Amino acid sequence: MSKWVIKGLRTGIKTTQYPRKMETASGVSPGLPTAAKGTEKEVQELVFNCPTGAIERSGNQLTVDYNYCIHCFRCKRGSQSPMGWDYGYEWAANTKDSGANRGLGSAFNRSINIRFVDGGACGACISEIEQLNKPYYNMHRLGFFATPTPREADVLLVAGPVTDHMRLPLKKAYDAMPTPKLVMAVGACALSGGIFGPSFMSDAGVSELIPVDVAVPGCPPPPLAIIHGLLLAVKRKSSALLTSSEVRG
Amino acid sequence: MVEASNAVVINGIIVFLSLCGIGIILAALLSNRMNPFGLSLVASIASVSVLLVGGEVLLSGHSVQTELWTLPFLGTLTFKIDRLSALFVFITGLVFLPVSIFSAGYLKRYLNRYNLKTFSIFYYLLFASIVLVLISGDILSFLIAWEVMSIFSYLLVNYEHEHEETTRSGFLMLAMSEAGTIMVILAFLIMAKASGSLDFAALRASAGGLGEVARWAVFLLSFFGFGVKAGLVPSSTWLPRAHPVAPGNVSALLSGVVLNLGIYGITRVNADLLPVSQVGPGLIVLIIGSISALVGILYAATENDMKKMLAHSSIENMGIITAGLGAGFVFAASGLPVLAGIAFIAALYHLINHSLYKSLLFLGAGSVDYAVGTRDMDRLGGLIKIMPWTALFFLAGSLSIAALPPFNGFVSEWLTLQTMLQSSAIHSAGEKIVFALSGAALALTAALAVTTFVKAFAMSFLGMGRSKRVKKVGEVRRSMIIPMGILALSCLLFGILPTYVVPVLDKTVAPLVHEKVADELVPPFFTVDKGDPKFGGAFVSEFHDLGAQVGRSYLPGRGLVILHRGLEKNPVVFAMSTSYTFIVLLFLLGGTFILVKVLTRARKVRRAAAWDGGIRRLLPEMTYTATGFSNPVRVIFNAVFHPSTIEDTKETVAGHFRTAIKNGRKEVHIIDRLIFKPITSFIQSVAVTLAKMHAGSINVYAAYVLIGLVLVLVVQRLLL
Repeated sequence: MSKWVIKGLRTGIKTTQYPRKMETASGVSPGLPTAAKGTEKEVQELVFNCPTGAIERSGNQLTVDYNYCIHCFRCKRGSQSPMGWDYGYEWAANTKDSGANRGLGSAFNRSINIRFVDGGACGACISEIEQLNKPYYNMHRLGFFATPTPREADVLLVAGPVTDHMRLPLKKAYDAMPTPKLVMAVGACALSGGIFGPSFMSDAGVSELIPVDVAVPGCPPPPLAIIHGLLLAVKRKSSALLTSSEVRG
Repeated sequence: MVEASNAVVINGIIVFLSLCGIGIILAALLSNRMNPFGLSLVASIASVSVLLVGGEVLLSGHSVQTELWTLPFLGTLTFKIDRLSALFVFITGLVFLPVSIFSAGYLKRYLNRYNLKTFSIFYYLLFASIVLVLISGDILSFLIAWEVMSIFSYLLVNYEHEHEETTRSGFLMLAMSEAGTIMVILAFLIMAKASGSLDFAALRASAGGLGEVARWAVFLLSFFGFGVKAGLVPSSTWLPRAHPVAPGNVSALLSGVVLNLGIYGITRVNADLLPVSQVGPGLIVLIIGSISALVGILYAATENDMKKMLAHSSIENMGIITAGLGAGFVFAASGLPVLAGIAFIAALYHLINHSLYKSLLFLGAGSVDYAVGTRDMDRLGGLIKIMPWTALFFLAGSLSIAALPPFNGFVSEWLTLQTMLQSSAIHSAGEKIVFALSGAALALTAALAVTTFVKAFAMSFLGMGRSKRVKKVGEVRRSMIIPMGILALSCLLFGILPTYVVPVLDKTVAPLVHEKVADELVPPFFTVDKGDPKFGGAFVSEFHDLGAQVGRSYLPGRGLVILHRGLEKNPVVFAMSTSYTFIVLLFLLGGTFILVKVLTRARKVRRAAAWDGGIRRLLPEMTYTATGFSNPVRVIFNAVFHPSTIEDTKETVAGHFRTAIKNGRKEVHIIDRLIFKPITSFIQSVAVTLAKMHAGSINVYAAYVLIGLVLVLVVQRLLL
């Protein structure tokens, strides 16, 4: 019984250093496509292969809309692919709706309560969000806490395309939150409906129902990206872009 | 002065009795439609006259005695009002006044269904007989009035006689009440035999002449006989059955007045006529009181019928009063008159309080029943939006009965529990243990009472209406709200002004314990001067150092209730002051309100629905029910409730498959289960054995006659 104390001490602190230092361990992020410039054939093939239509073409320049990208690697497959790939994870970005909600003031910098609503997610985002509570990512060290009731919540974390059945509960939770408040959409589905929506049973993302302040792309976004989103919500990190910039030269 | 006071009292009684007479004639003459109004008018005036009579004797303190007339062979009928009678008379008036006003509206529900003339007549006769019980000065008039009271309270309970349940409960009530009366008559006869007179004064004078066995007999017979009326264990089973079937206003009278008569009888016989001189009877009273309190509140906590719940709670409160009396008897018998006086004051204070808040709660339950048509708390809910005034006054009653300051229940329960703690003054270890256990039982009772009345108020008035009927109703008429308001206000006043009530009660108790305790219990701390002989020098200077004398000209009177003045160094042991608490509470609440208003004046308020977990629609069926709320109590005290499960199964014709299983739950009240069931089954088994003699053959019967004859002859031969 007493072994766990010794074992724990011997193991030491395994929690990630992020955001103090960038996390460099392998496998913390699947990465995202950045941009590509190629021949007509290559460009056509890449656009054709993208299952969610995230790749946009102008001439022979390709950019990626992260609202749709599910980083399926189809555009990266094969050694000849011109698609660039970024293995980082600081993906969270402010949306065009940012500021529609009365944002959190500086008093919330190191203490926010988060209410998570599953708007019909497939489970991937949920299991990534779950990781935030576990020792490796441990969001409590940053002052982020989960709460069961929206009456105490400052940030509403939503995953999933918002199915018909979850529309009312999501709206109710949003209405029940006191101001100031923020809404954070996690995952491609929550941003654009992803591979599910819009359809006969779901919307095309959270922003159709309530204004979204912070978007975290990815399918699913790795836990570090979600932490980046939370840090962005309290303005401790800067925003990334939701569309990749073109390849120069 | 004395003569003037006497004249007021005697004239008051004459006015009261003639008002009752006028009322009866009026009731017979008026139509059914007009009868409730006539009843409420005349009975309220009669109640006021009763209040005047009681108040006059209580405050002036002169006993008033008058002889009515002499019956041949039996004796003289005398009336005597001393302070003890006056206190009970006063409470009677205090309860009858609002209940009479309430009746005007409430009785409308019986119009065209039952004869309201008979109701009015019964009502006046009950009122008159209750007052006569309290002021009778000899055994004969007491018993006549007592019987009249018993019969008319039965007739009023049985008023909705078309229901079979009502009739059955009424018979049970009548039977138990008569059994109690027989015991009381026996007790009186034992005393009368020793004194040779039926007059109470003669009984009191000759009390010393009774032997040990006779004293015990009188105590046991009177305590358990009157205990039936007071609803004490083990003769409490009639109460929860009679209450739900009685009309709402009659329930209020039953709990607020009629139960008091049982306590009056116990006090009159065992504290006044034949004072308990031993510790034993006192301990019995204490134990029975504590058990009644605990059993009463346990069943109240799990009951969902509003009136049944209140009836069980009446048993509890009568238990607390009786426990206080028992403590008083023990202290008096152990030669501690001051503590005895305090215990009696606690008991009588609780009696007043119980009368006030229980009649208030019964009127509230009656109003709910009147408006909604059901008393099942599982089907009520959300009434505060529809009946705001009823809800407010029911809340006041619930707070009072749950013993929360600043309402009146707190004062008397505080006094009772503190009295239990004073058992350290007793030397015998056994008695101390009894006191400790009783104190623990009463403390548990107090806690459960809070649970019970949180449930009663919350499940009936808050949340969502759990039946369709609730949505259709409105507030009851004003003539039913005002009486509840009167009672709620009295509950508050008796709660915040204990220092004015205690001296009056002290004068009532003083003749019983031969000691004045008002200065012990409510000392004039803040107005006492240095050098007062009653208060030690160190004690007074300590208070002066605190600055107690600073605002003495502004303080309206004695404000603290303390239980014990300890040593010179450490003067106060237990003290409380609901008066000052109330003032401070008002300031705090008002201050907080103003502060919040000022601080948030610039804030915009956004109104949104309460968070319900995001469900589509919160249905009444989804909300917490009364059964659910009280289930923890049911589980914890499973050994007491001892429920048996009834399984009702349906099977296919061949019996291979069960098509439906229905589980029910049946509870037998612990008193019925442990006491009455064994007795009835024993008697039945005896009857079955004896029945074997009746073989039906005429020859056998002829043989019985012959054997009987021979036996008689043999016995006669042997004896003579």
